[in-house]
Amino acid sequence: MLKAENSLGIIFFPAFDWAISPTHPEREERLLYTQDQLCEEGLFDIEGIREYKPEVASSEDIERVHFCFPEAEAVATRSHCISAGGAVKAAELVMSGERDRAFALVRPPGHHAMKTVQGSRGFCAINIEAVMCEYIREKFGPKRIAIVDTDCHHGDGTQDVYWHDPDTLFISLHQDGRTLYPGTGFPKECGGPKALGRTVNIPLPPNTSDAGFMMVMKNAVMPILEDFKPDLIINSAGQDNHFTDPITNMNFSAQGYAALNSMLKPDIAVLEGGYAIQGALPYVNLGISLAMAGVDYSHVREPGFNPETLKESDEIMDYIATLCEGVKDVYFNPPSESIEGVISGGWSVRHRNIFYDTEGFTESQTESLRLCDDCRGLLKVETQREGGPMGFGLEIPAAACEKCRNQGYSLLEEAQVKSRYRYIQLINRKDKDYLRYGF
Amino acid sequence: MLLLGIDVGGTHTDAVAIGPDGLEAQVKVATEHDNLLSSIKNSLGEILRHTDPSRIKQLNLSTTLSTNSIVEGNYEDVGVIVSAGPGLDPHSFMTCKDFHVIPGSLDHRGSETKRLDNLALEEAIASCRNSGIKVYAAITKFSPRNPSHEKSIELAIGDNADFITLGHQITGRLNFPRRISTAFYNCAVWRGFNKFADAIADTLDEMGLGQIKVNILKADGGTMPLDLSRKVPVQSIFSGPAASVMGIIALCNITHDSIIYDIGGTTTDIAIFAGGSPLIEQEGIHIGSHPTLVRALKVHSIGIGGDSAISIMDGTVRVGPNRLGPSITFGGEIPTLTDALIWKDSCDCGNIEQSKAGFTAFAAKNGLDATELADQAIGYAVDKIHDSTRSLVDEINRQPVYTIHELLENRKIIPRKIYIMGGPAQAMKMDIFRKFRLSTEVPQNYDVANAIGAALTRTTTELELFADTERGLMFIPSLGHRENIPRNYRIEDAEKDAMNHLLAHLGEMHVASDGSNAQITSSSSFNMVNGSSTVGRNIRVKCQIKPGVDRTYS
Repeated sequence: MLKAENSLGIIFFPAFDWAISPTHPEREERLLYTQDQLCEEGLFDIEGIREYKPEVASSEDIERVHFCFPEAEAVATRSHCISAGGAVKAAELVMSGERDRAFALVRPPGHHAMKTVQGSRGFCAINIEAVMCEYIREKFGPKRIAIVDTDCHHGDGTQDVYWHDPDTLFISLHQDGRTLYPGTGFPKECGGPKALGRTVNIPLPPNTSDAGFMMVMKNAVMPILEDFKPDLIINSAGQDNHFTDPITNMNFSAQGYAALNSMLKPDIAVLEGGYAIQGALPYVNLGISLAMAGVDYSHVREPGFNPETLKESDEIMDYIATLCEGVKDVYFNPPSESIEGVISGGWSVRHRNIFYDTEGFTESQTESLRLCDDCRGLLKVETQREGGPMGFGLEIPAAACEKCRNQGYSLLEEAQVKSRYRYIQLINRKDKDYLRYGF
Repeated sequence: MLLLGIDVGGTHTDAVAIGPDGLEAQVKVATEHDNLLSSIKNSLGEILRHTDPSRIKQLNLSTTLSTNSIVEGNYEDVGVIVSAGPGLDPHSFMTCKDFHVIPGSLDHRGSETKRLDNLALEEAIASCRNSGIKVYAAITKFSPRNPSHEKSIELAIGDNADFITLGHQITGRLNFPRRISTAFYNCAVWRGFNKFADAIADTLDEMGLGQIKVNILKADGGTMPLDLSRKVPVQSIFSGPAASVMGIIALCNITHDSIIYDIGGTTTDIAIFAGGSPLIEQEGIHIGSHPTLVRALKVHSIGIGGDSAISIMDGTVRVGPNRLGPSITFGGEIPTLTDALIWKDSCDCGNIEQSKAGFTAFAAKNGLDATELADQAIGYAVDKIHDSTRSLVDEINRQPVYTIHELLENRKIIPRKIYIMGGPAQAMKMDIFRKFRLSTEVPQNYDVANAIGAALTRTTTELELFADTERGLMFIPSLGHRENIPRNYRIEDAEKDAMNHLLAHLGEMHVASDGSNAQITSSSSFNMVNGSSTVGRNIRVKCQIKPGVDRTYS
């Protein structure tokens, strides 16, 4: 009988009765073949590996993280609450010590969902990793968390949620934004004024394969993690870097994904994208599960895998070697100013238009961070969906100083009096006070 | 018209004859562990003395023959030939020394991704032949999706084998390691079981019962005809606990979520009913050191029984899990749960005076009042039973589901009634009632419930149908049935086909069924999309003959 070196909980929830639309890549069948593969391999018979049922994330879990307009129930369907709940269950298992590690094999994904949510973008409505991380912090106290996003698309949502958080290190490995949705994720995007160097983007050239990814892991990701000393490591385990993925251009393999997780040793992995549902997902998910459990994965190979033809050119390897040095600098010697935001009256202000591709509308947003010397600062967001009503969000961070906290409440009062906003949401992490007005 | 049921247990062999109006004869004889046939003969002889042989129509038999031979490692060498392809290293599932891995692979949809290496196959067979192997198991990964590699192996083995088990014939459910061990065990016990089956047939002939129908009990609480059981003897393992559960169904009219206890000498078996139906183990039972795909009722055993010894450690009174000889009342030396029940006057068996004297002496030696000791011992046993039941129910309620509908519906089992059988059933009834505060019932004839269950249970079978309309193929692995289907084949067609094949299969086994016990247990259809167009449907249907009894009486 096989035995896992690390006990592993797998929250497997394929949502066999939910799709964005009948032929959308995010549809019922997506994890069907993965389930067949895991069953046929007898994965859950391995001593130490156990399957669990997800929780259902509550509106409170979501509104602790996101400014949702008009409200959490309107932007997140039941399926989103369950996939976020799957991530929450993974956290529960690990934090309670019931399992050494956990893998939330759930859908739909979440890493394109930003701090403010007006709808669905990049197949994502709510950020399931962020819902999970903030659940952990709410329940188990302050934690330093590193999120390593290995989805082929830039995790722009997770980047946005943690843009101002110095206690969350976000590292994203993805196909270069000049060649793929969402078109962001360059090294110069490295965090807000209070969290410079806590966002590390590693845009990789198309056709990067196992050697390239492992070089990034070894030369950039691991040294950065070693320095950051996180309490928890999370892998946003998107699987669309696979060489068979229909909507991307990378050459990563099941072996590569397994080796990456073997090196990263994430406490929790959460499935993100990946739409080669027959040729990649069954093998990649198996590889990641085995690697996390510490079981031999060397025989996991997808059909059509030929390391020779997938191998990246020398130019690509040289490019990646240079890139690694650059991105390490982002973390170890961050610039003194954020590339985004202008300073105005003690606030750092960003104006942005955000396109929601799944639903096809644009949100215009003004986000301001109070530049505070005593804490990471009060955050406020003014947002308006094209032709829609105005929304206003305020976040008082958990370690907020008295001044930021008080200012938060006076801004809230002011916002209510002025009646300029249709919806107002307050996230006060310090006192666990969560309020919303205007229905 | 009489139905006979025989349950060969570890200590006793129980036999009953049931007529239209109820129990007509019952016997209990000691089981001769090394000669099960004689135990069966003896009990059958007793029954015949009390009944008219010409009225006997059927004999259902639950035997530990295959279970014993597996647990004791007393079986024939098997040549196991597997082909795995990518995934876990198949050598991790090595069941025996003649285990050969042949290159070749199929993927999850049954497409061949690598041809079977015929040369390596020939070598493997030659090696088995040299070791004197006469029975073979052939298992390839994803054979329930496409059996062609297993069939090639079968063809290559040919005359070298007296018997071959192919993985896909066992079940259409996916689990390669379990399929390996199930096929292996099936081969390992095949010869022994067939000798036994021959002996049974001869014995019945001698007794003038040659014309009656003989069925063998399975762990899922159903039966299979003797002729069929010769090919799948592995299905006869662990049928004992299932016989008891089926007995309860025959004796009581169970309609609620319920808990069933069978309190024996060394263990208590716990089974859970959802509504009126017993729960079935998700994958299959564990035996020896390997999990299998043998379908079984979910029965959980704990080490508390009438003969469980009472011990005191650090001032805490414990019961079990060890049995250190018989109870004092039956001439033992160390007090047991039964002795504690006797002290409380809940139980009347054996030598009461001897029991009470021994119990008092043991209590005094440990500085305890005898009543206090008895209370604590019974309390401990009931607590153990209670806690194990709770965690079993929790485990069942935690079982994963795969649709949003099921997750939000969140059907939970909440037991409303308790049924107890076994030796100490009556004696423990009130203590268990006080702990659970649930209606608690001890059925009449509970001491032969196992044999009654055996006598009355019906023939069950299950099958899985798998259809892929992109390829135009429909396949029922356990029947080896494969047919072409049109592109517009739908889930409704699949369900109809599955039910028809299930009933036809019963017909082949000469079992009459009107189909009222046949049911679809799960069915799903997924659109397969390539790019942005639907290229076909992937359909899966499972159906079964529900385990159940043909008549009940209370």
